[in-house]
Amino acid sequence: MKKLKGFWVKILIFLSVMGPGIITANVDNDAGGITTYSVAGAHFGYALIWSFIPIIIALVIIQEMCSRMAVVTGKGLADLIREEFGAKVAFYAMVILIFSNIFNTISEFAGIAASAELFGISKYILVPACALFVWWLIVKGTYKSVEKVFLVACLFYVSYIVSGFLSKPDWKTVAQSSISPSFQFDKAYILMLIGVIGTTIAPWMQFYQQSSVVEKGIKIENYKYSRLDVVIGSFIVNIIAIFIVIVCANTLFTHGIRIESAQDAALALRPLAGKYCFYLFAFGLLNASIFSACILPLSTAYSVCEGMGWEVGVNRTFKEAPQFYSLYTAIIVIGAAVILIPNVKLIPIMLLSQATNGILLPFVLIFMLLLVNNKRLMGKYVNSRFYNICAVLIIASMILLSLILCVTAFVK
Amino acid sequence: MLNQSMSNVNISAAKMFVFFSQLMDKPVFDKNGLRAGEVYDLVLKPSEVYPLSCALVIRKGFPNRKYAIIQWQEIQKIDKESAILRIEFASLAFSELRDEKKEFTLRRDILDQQVVDTYNHKVIRVNDIHLLSVDQALMIAHVDIGSRGLIRRLGFENSIDFIVRLLNPKAKYLHNERLVSWKYIQPLTINPVSMTIKIDVPQKNLANIPAADLGDIFLDLNIHHQIALFKSLNLANKTKIFTNIDFKTQRSLLEELNDSDIAELLNNIPSDEATDFLEKLPSEQTKRVLNLIENKYSKRLSQLLGYSGDSAGGLMTTEYIAFPKGTTVEAALNQIRERKFKSEPAQFVYIISSTHELIGATNFRRLILANPLDPIENCAFPKTYFVHLDSSVKEVAYLMEKYKYFAIPVVDENNILQGIITVDDILSQLIAFAWRRLKRIKIIQKT
Repeated sequence: MKKLKGFWVKILIFLSVMGPGIITANVDNDAGGITTYSVAGAHFGYALIWSFIPIIIALVIIQEMCSRMAVVTGKGLADLIREEFGAKVAFYAMVILIFSNIFNTISEFAGIAASAELFGISKYILVPACALFVWWLIVKGTYKSVEKVFLVACLFYVSYIVSGFLSKPDWKTVAQSSISPSFQFDKAYILMLIGVIGTTIAPWMQFYQQSSVVEKGIKIENYKYSRLDVVIGSFIVNIIAIFIVIVCANTLFTHGIRIESAQDAALALRPLAGKYCFYLFAFGLLNASIFSACILPLSTAYSVCEGMGWEVGVNRTFKEAPQFYSLYTAIIVIGAAVILIPNVKLIPIMLLSQATNGILLPFVLIFMLLLVNNKRLMGKYVNSRFYNICAVLIIASMILLSLILCVTAFVK
Repeated sequence: MLNQSMSNVNISAAKMFVFFSQLMDKPVFDKNGLRAGEVYDLVLKPSEVYPLSCALVIRKGFPNRKYAIIQWQEIQKIDKESAILRIEFASLAFSELRDEKKEFTLRRDILDQQVVDTYNHKVIRVNDIHLLSVDQALMIAHVDIGSRGLIRRLGFENSIDFIVRLLNPKAKYLHNERLVSWKYIQPLTINPVSMTIKIDVPQKNLANIPAADLGDIFLDLNIHHQIALFKSLNLANKTKIFTNIDFKTQRSLLEELNDSDIAELLNNIPSDEATDFLEKLPSEQTKRVLNLIENKYSKRLSQLLGYSGDSAGGLMTTEYIAFPKGTTVEAALNQIRERKFKSEPAQFVYIISSTHELIGATNFRRLILANPLDPIENCAFPKTYFVHLDSSVKEVAYLMEKYKYFAIPVVDENNILQGIITVDDILSQLIAFAWRRLKRIKIIQKT
């Protein structure tokens, strides 16, 4: 009896601690994410599926470091970088963050434009409308209540899992290719690989995740539940990603369809939704895009203002927090404006933004690694040796991939 | 008005002043002109309003960095170009660790850290530190929280200055620094042993901050700072903060305090605030906390907790001023002067019978104007209005508005005085009702 009670208490604690990991995971599956996984499956079949096993491990390790730092220090990543490395380093780190997040926001608006195409609405109407909506949600402070709606709409991803089963893939081949790494010294392949890694483990995620754990005010005694939250979140992202790849490999790659527009990507859902697949995909893409378009500019503005020591917060007025609002607004405006350029190619934009994430990721990871090993900050909660080896391996391989990409770009 | 504390220092006239960022990383030479390393940090002598430097920390080597501490009397000169020592390089003791040190230093404890600005009532981040040279030593005069300080740290000061001067030679940017005097600054360095924060600004400084602002400042801090700062404050400030923060923060503070601290804190919180907090706690914890509190008070609190939150009984506070019938006005006034009340009761005085029945009410003004020798009931209002324990918020609000009362007494079915409801308790209830409308009004006012 007592054991049972203990079990329920544990479940309750987990529910109260849960959130940051799972929300981050769902924001991670944004327009750029869906597109990158779709293209990976459609253009390379199962050739990239092996990468998801190391990606899951890396994602769990990195996100775990973030939440551990958040719980132990009670500070966000931007604050820690500023306090430990000084103003100069913090400034350049923030430049990297802003740069990569502007790219990401552009890709969210590209997602909105793509779903506009599928719905048959002009992007010149839907993109500005969504930009205004996103801006209004945050400035009016109604975002928190809408967040749950976004999260429920994320059940859309289940349709990829259902499609995955309906498309009857050869599970033996899937299993084989997921455990046997293959590598191609080809520019497109490497760019794709960096994109897949970059979209799954994006630099902004670390800042966002750490701040949300801090905001939750989780105590060190309950940290193990927070870790569970991270693991569940990481698995959700990757399972969905794997299914997107499988579905696209099975429906598009086998028929030699290359994804040039959102229309092609939507075909992957045909086994489930038949002729309605366009609407289903457009709905999912729109939800994912708006969800992330809310969070990305906001988390960037928060991190940057915290790191630079500017006033932060949506409950302050423009006059009190001018940098916060300007930054937030500017990111949304730039994101939407780029997409409004006539004839801009949406799919390449989304892919490129995710590759940028991948290239910038190691810089953020180096800061994290230095911070999480700082005894004065972390006390006995510094990284174990195993963790450090893994983290160094991740950083080294990301840098190596970026270098190889440079080389192949020049060789061709 | 807030800008008053930002003394406008004219840079060209301030030769005695130097910014810490202008000293940082400058070369250090020993007495023979041999390079010893670079300026890394300043150690400060504690226990002064404006702390003086007492040692210099220098750093050498990369990537295996080593640090040495040099006492201030062994420094010949330190300025924007370099520092020169009176001793030889060979006599310096370099070691790898310097993080374990307990002393208070500029770079680790102030620069780039968050501190509380007790003048402008907010949490700020220090961009630079303004030092004044006094008798060969350096003294912290101000902290720089402006954008120019940030630009200086990034190393762009000269180029940005040049551009601004080119565009607008009279730009405010060139002449004004956003500096806050050190006497208003409360650092947030947590002592690793005692886990508390050394309060440098007098607690009086904090006590002068309006309670609601103090609560806001507190909520801006991270959880470790909150706990450490809370533990370091005196009871008055603790009470002020505790009653002005949200429930989640209250609860996490409660978990960190030991039993005697909890008892001391809750014994000093007005009963309406205490019940507000206790009623949100899980019942087991409420019981535990009630057991810690002084017996008489906890009885009253558990009684209050029995009333529903939006009835008069749930809203009332049991702190009020009441005198038995027949007390002279003079005696009543003397008692008011002598007594210390937990909350400021809203200027109303109640007259009760020997069995605590409500007979009448009066206010301070009437008391002061009355003949000191008269019995107190002579100056009572002609009619006494009151509400019952189960009256609704709306009834209470209606009565208070109608008769323009700041407080109204609450009685039980036998007309026994139980407590009073003050206007602020009613307001917070009504604000919750009118929340959406109010928010709109607030936005209109601000734009």
